[in-house]
Amino acid sequence: MLKALAGFIVGIVVIGLTGWMLMPQLMFSERVSPFGMEETVARIQHNIQNTGNGWALSGLRNPARAVQGDGGNVLPVLMIEACSTQYSKPILKEDTVRFLSILMPCKISIYKKNDGKVYIGTMNAGLMGKMFGPMVGEVMGKVAADQKKFLHFDPNTPAPKMITPAIPASGASIPSLGGGGGC
Amino acid sequence: MFISTTRALTLGLMLVYLPISSSLASTPATTPTAMPVQAAAKAATHSTADHSKFEALKKSFASGPEVTQACLSCHTEAARQVQKTKHWTWEFMNPETKQRLGKKHVINNFCTAVPSNYEFCTACHVGYGWKDEKFDFTAQENVDCLVCHDTTGSYRKLPGLAGHPNYQDMEYPPHSGKVVKAPNLGEVARNVGKSSRANCGACHFYGGGGDAVKHGDLDSSMKNPSQYLDVHMAKDGLNFTCGTCHATAGHDVPGSRYAPTASDEKHGAHMRGKKDVNPATCQACHGTRPHSAKLAKLNDHADKIACQTCHIPEFARGGIPTKMSWDWSTAGKLDKDGKPFKLKDSGGHDAYDSKKGDFKYEDNVIPEYIWFNGKVNYTLLDTKLDPSQVIRINHFEGSPDDGKSKIWPIKRFTGKQPYDMVTNQLLIPHTYGKDDSSFWSNFNWDKALTTGMQAAGGEFSGKFAFVATEMSWPITHMVAPKTDALNCQQCHGANGRLDKVPGLYIPGRDANPWLDKAGWSIALLTLLGVIAHGGLRYLMAGKRTHGEQE
Repeated sequence: MLKALAGFIVGIVVIGLTGWMLMPQLMFSERVSPFGMEETVARIQHNIQNTGNGWALSGLRNPARAVQGDGGNVLPVLMIEACSTQYSKPILKEDTVRFLSILMPCKISIYKKNDGKVYIGTMNAGLMGKMFGPMVGEVMGKVAADQKKFLHFDPNTPAPKMITPAIPASGASIPSLGGGGGC
Repeated sequence: MFISTTRALTLGLMLVYLPISSSLASTPATTPTAMPVQAAAKAATHSTADHSKFEALKKSFASGPEVTQACLSCHTEAARQVQKTKHWTWEFMNPETKQRLGKKHVINNFCTAVPSNYEFCTACHVGYGWKDEKFDFTAQENVDCLVCHDTTGSYRKLPGLAGHPNYQDMEYPPHSGKVVKAPNLGEVARNVGKSSRANCGACHFYGGGGDAVKHGDLDSSMKNPSQYLDVHMAKDGLNFTCGTCHATAGHDVPGSRYAPTASDEKHGAHMRGKKDVNPATCQACHGTRPHSAKLAKLNDHADKIACQTCHIPEFARGGIPTKMSWDWSTAGKLDKDGKPFKLKDSGGHDAYDSKKGDFKYEDNVIPEYIWFNGKVNYTLLDTKLDPSQVIRINHFEGSPDDGKSKIWPIKRFTGKQPYDMVTNQLLIPHTYGKDDSSFWSNFNWDKALTTGMQAAGGEFSGKFAFVATEMSWPITHMVAPKTDALNCQQCHGANGRLDKVPGLYIPGRDANPWLDKAGWSIALLTLLGVIAHGGLRYLMAGKRTHGEQE
C-alpha cells in the first residue's frame, strides 16, 4: 500500500515537473523569419490589416530604444500591437474574466538574436484561452486562428512599407492606428 | 487617498510610456552638413587666435581658392603639408604588398571608381577643381582649408562641382525641390577652428554615396552620439573628436583602411607624438593588458582577439542602417514612360534605383569575424579574375598560426559589378556626367564602360557581364559601454559568435571526443560502483535481519 502511494506521488511529481518544463514552450512560440526586421514587421502589420474580423493595429513599440536612452545596447526588438473589438468585447463585458484585459492588445514580437537571424515570438492564445472557461476558450481559439493568418507570408508579394504609429499629441497614452478600440 | 494613488499610478505609467513611444518617432538627422556649432565651438575653444580679427579675412570671397590664398598668408606651410597626404593625393603605396592604392587607383563595389567620374567623386577631395586628369596637384590655392576647419556647418561640397562648394543657391538633389544655400565664404573663413566630428563626417559618414552606406561603423549618428553608441565620442561623455585618436601631425591624419594596424602588441600604450606608431589603435591608450586584475583572464584573450571583437557587439547601431549589398547588374531599368525610378524597402530605404541597381540595408548588424594580420590585397584594374568565383575586392590576410593575426570584426559587403568577359578584369563605368556616355544619363552600359575604361587607361573588349564581388571593412568605431561587451557565453557557448573562425579551440564550446569518452566512462563506472555498493549493503542488511529473526 505504502509502495503504491509512493509510486503515485512520484508519478504526480514527474508529471508536474514535465509540465513545468514544457510550459514555456506550450505558452509561447518562436520561429525564424525569412525576412529582415522591418520587412517582417511590415508584412505582419499588413496581414493584420487584411485579416478582417475587426483587427486593427494599435501600436508598434521599440523597447530597445528605451534601453539606448538609458545608455545601453540590446539587439533590436519591435512589438506589434493589434486588437479586435470583435474579440475583446465579450471578454471585457464579463466581470469574471475582465482581468484578462491584461493580455490586450494582442502582441507579436519581432527580434534579432545573436545568430543574426530575425525571430517572431507569439503567445499561444488558443491554449491560454482554454484555461479560463468555455467563452474565453472560444474567443481565444478564434484569435489563435487569426494569429496564424498574421504569420502567413507570401514571398512573391513585394515588401510592403512598415507602418509607424502616429505619436499622440499629448495626453493620449496609446498611439492609435485607426480603430484598435476596445483594447 | 485612493484618488491620489491612482493619479500617481497613472502619472507613473505615462512617464514609463512616453519615452518608449517617443523613441519610435525619433529618427536621427541624415543631412550631410556639419552641425551649426559656431556658438558652441567659440565657447569651448582654447584657440589663441580669433580669425574674425584677421585683416586678410575681413572681406568677402568669391571662391574657395580665394579663401585658401588668404589662409596661406599666415599658415604658410599648411598647403604643402596637405599636399603630401592621402587626403590630397588619393594615392597610397602599400609598402608590404607594393600595390598602388588610394581612391585614384582602387575599384570598389560601391560607386566603383573615380576615373571619368571626377566631378562627382571629388566632392570629398580636400581640394578645388579636380574635374579631370589634368588637375594641378601642385597649386597651393587648390587646397580646401574650409572643409576640415569650418565650424559654422554652412559649408558643403556637393557632388558634381569638382570639389567646390555651391557659389549660388542650388537645388540638390536635382529635382528634389530642396535648395542648398550658397555658403558665405567670408563668414565661414572668419569662423574656422579645429576639425570636429562633423567636419570629418561630412565625407567619412557618407562614403559610398550616402549616409552609413560604406563603413557600417561610421554614419551621421556619430556626429553627436549618445553613450550607448560610442563611449569615446559620446556628446554627454568623453566627447572625443576624430582627431583625439587620429592625432594629426602636419595635417597628416594617421589610420588607414589600406594598411590597418591589426595588432599593436609591440608598441602598446605610448605617448602622443611618437613617430611611426599608429596613435589610433586601442592599445595606444589602453595598453596591451587593459582589464583590471579582477578581470585578468580577459587580458589573456588580448593577444589573439582584437578589442573591437568584444567591445563593438554590433555595428550600425545609431538608427541608420548600413548598405550590405549592391547589385549593379539590375541597374538601368526604366518605367513605362522610359524614366528612371526608385523603389523603397519596408523601412523606407532605397531598395532599387535605376541609376544604381538593387540594394539591401540592415541596422544593428552582427559582424563577421576573421583572422586578420593587417595585410590587405586588392583586386585592381589589371588583376586577372576568375568570374566563376566571388571576387574579393580587398582580401584581408590572416591565420591562427602566423603570430601576427588577431580575430577582428568586419562588415562583409557583397555586390555584383561589371567585368570584361575577354580580359577577365574588372571594368570602370562612367556613371556621372552631363555627356551622352554617362550611365546615369543614358543607361547604356556599352557607352559607359567604354568611356570609363578610356579615362582609366584600361582595355575594354566590348563584351561585359557582371561578377559577384565582396569587400571587407574592419569595424573599429561605435565602441559600446563595457557592460555591453560580448559576454563569455556569446563565444564559449554553442552557436557562438566565433563559430566560423577556423583554428580555434574554445573551452565550453569545443570538445575532445576521447576526453569526453574517458570522462563519461569514469562517471558511468562511479554510478555502477555506487549502485553495486548500495545493492550489496541492502542485500547484506536483509540477510542480517532475516538471520536475527531466525
